[in-house]
Amino acid sequence: MGEYVIETQDLVKVYKDRSGVVKALDGVSLKVPKAVLFGLFGPNGSGKTTLISILVGLQLPTSGSAQVLGFDCVRESIEVRKRVGLLPENYGFYESMTAYENLEYLGKLDGIPVQELKRRIPEVLELVGLKEWINSKVKSFSRGMTQRLALAQALLKDPEILLLDEPTLGLDPQGSTMFRKLMEEFVKSGKSVLISTHLLHELGYICTQAAFLRKGKLVAQGSIEELAKVYSKEKGYSYELLVAEDVELLVKELMKLEGVIHVSFENDKVRVRASEDISDELASLVGKFRVKAMVPISPTWDELYQFYQGGGWE
Amino acid sequence: MIEKVLIITKKEILENIKSVKYWAIVGLFVLLYLSSTYAIGFALRGLGQQGIQRRERVVLTLSSQVANTMSYIAPLIGIALGFGAVAAERDKGTIRLVLARPIYRDALINGKVIAAFILIVLAVLASTLIAVPLAISVQGVNVTLDDFTRLVFVTVPASLLALAYYTMALFVSVNAGRSSQALVVSLSMWIFFSFILPIISSFIAFQILGPPPAMPFNATRPFQPGQGSRQFAEYYGKYSQIVNTIQIMSPNARYTSLINALFALRQSGSYETLTSSLGARWLDVVVLLFYIAAFAIPSYVLFLRRQETR
Ligand SMILES: Nc1ncnc2c1ncn2[C@@H]1O[C@H](COP(=O)(O)OP(=O)(O)OP(=O)(O)O)[C@@H](O)[C@H]1O
Ligand SMILES: [Mg+2]
Repeated sequence: MGEYVIETQDLVKVYKDRSGVVKALDGVSLKVPKAVLFGLFGPNGSGKTTLISILVGLQLPTSGSAQVLGFDCVRESIEVRKRVGLLPENYGFYESMTAYENLEYLGKLDGIPVQELKRRIPEVLELVGLKEWINSKVKSFSRGMTQRLALAQALLKDPEILLLDEPTLGLDPQGSTMFRKLMEEFVKSGKSVLISTHLLHELGYICTQAAFLRKGKLVAQGSIEELAKVYSKEKGYSYELLVAEDVELLVKELMKLEGVIHVSFENDKVRVRASEDISDELASLVGKFRVKAMVPISPTWDELYQFYQGGGWE
Repeated sequence: MIEKVLIITKKEILENIKSVKYWAIVGLFVLLYLSSTYAIGFALRGLGQQGIQRRERVVLTLSSQVANTMSYIAPLIGIALGFGAVAAERDKGTIRLVLARPIYRDALINGKVIAAFILIVLAVLASTLIAVPLAISVQGVNVTLDDFTRLVFVTVPASLLALAYYTMALFVSVNAGRSSQALVVSLSMWIFFSFILPIISSFIAFQILGPPPAMPFNATRPFQPGQGSRQFAEYYGKYSQIVNTIQIMSPNARYTSLINALFALRQSGSYETLTSSLGARWLDVVVLLFYIAAFAIPSYVLFLRRQETR
């Protein structure tokens, strides 16, 4: 195993049915490093679910290969599944069984000893806030409660990697907060999470790295800083300066700098947009103008998403 | 990996044993059986004692009604367990939680087939052991140990019949998009073999043989054996030959024939030995086993090769 916990090479998945041929994945080479919250972002139908399904062996790739923790996703799928917790996009529980019974069955299939399950099941149900419903039948569960239970079954075996397909669907605000905290702790313990979603405003900011899928193609991947660099080269660099006095003088000075496209200000806040990286030049002004703070403004995941999805990467 | 199979078997058995569907079918059997034997027993009592003793008549009626009722209910047990085996897990999405775990796909299907076998034997035994003693006490006949052994032995062909329908339904379930679709197709097979094929085969027989000979019938006097009835017997001999040939591959017909052999009485009023009655009907057993294998093997192969899209 190299430095990546998930790796794919030229992954292709073609669906054939009566209505024709769909290339759901078209040469995807993904790299997910260890101990990060990794976002798999893309619009509906871009191939997120297909990619995750191939990783756990629910589907087979048409061509190309994939490894999770160094194990081949086709030939060593069992080894992969021993170590991965999956929250699929479409799933269901045995409705006539209780939350405990469902988790007990799935936990046994994971290979967890019964004694261990007696301790572990209440523990994960506590984590997702379902402890009170441990002996309730799943048919009485609401959408959000079912989603919490789905998260619990993925956490059950304490996996090394979590693959989560739209994990916050149906969760209330408390649920989303619980989810983020859980994920942050999970990653802190050195494990990795792959979250597939198109809800960037909700999940984007907890991810430190991401890949963008578009029509089955991977259009970009990396950390937010790396992705922002490409974005800034195209869209320009933005900075914000907090100034104590002489705002107008500073603005005049800024206009003279090479590469500056636009300067605006409001009270003591000055915003600069430039076509190139001018952080060094700005730093030299800090002393002269009693600038209290100078920060580069990084694009949000939303802006990056818009950029990469619309950026003509056809 | 055998322990994963047993985990699945255990869960399947518990889930079904706790379900209403499972016991509703057992209940349906008991109800149908009791009402039909009650009606027939009532009629027999009125007939007086002719030929074989009344005791034998009633016992024969009780057993042939077990067979008759089972020929409808056993397939339903098989279908109830089979149609959803794979399709319902796909519908509900439970299959994606199960198969994302470290188990082989064949463990899932093996676990289900083993569970189905146990559940079928259990349902058939439970139905028989609840219904028959009830009927015996209602009819008030003395049943010999030999009678009772035969009655219990009916559960073997009945289980084979149920298993044949289970594997048919499983095959449909593996290939169906939805479980409702699998149910409709499985029930159509049941309707075909239970109701349509018998009608078709007797229609064909009548087409070949022409109308039956006139029956010598006199409502004021009891039936007289004689010239007319020999013609009549010949005609019906041919008729049932044709009907049987057409239904040679019908699991229901093979089951019925096997049961008839089990309860065939000698002139003396005692049964043929078990081995001789089974020896005469090995083809019935072969056809039933053929059904089970012919649907189980492709179900297995197709399931292993399928992927979980959707
Ligand atoms: N079973 C299937 N048969 C045919 N085409 C399919 C099948 N499953 C997916 N597809 C197609 O493959 C493409 C990718 O689908 P996929 O479900 O991976 O997208 P997604 O990114 O998960 O979308 P969403 O955000 O809606 O969940 C789509 O064009 C879809 O229509
Ligand atoms: Mg999806």
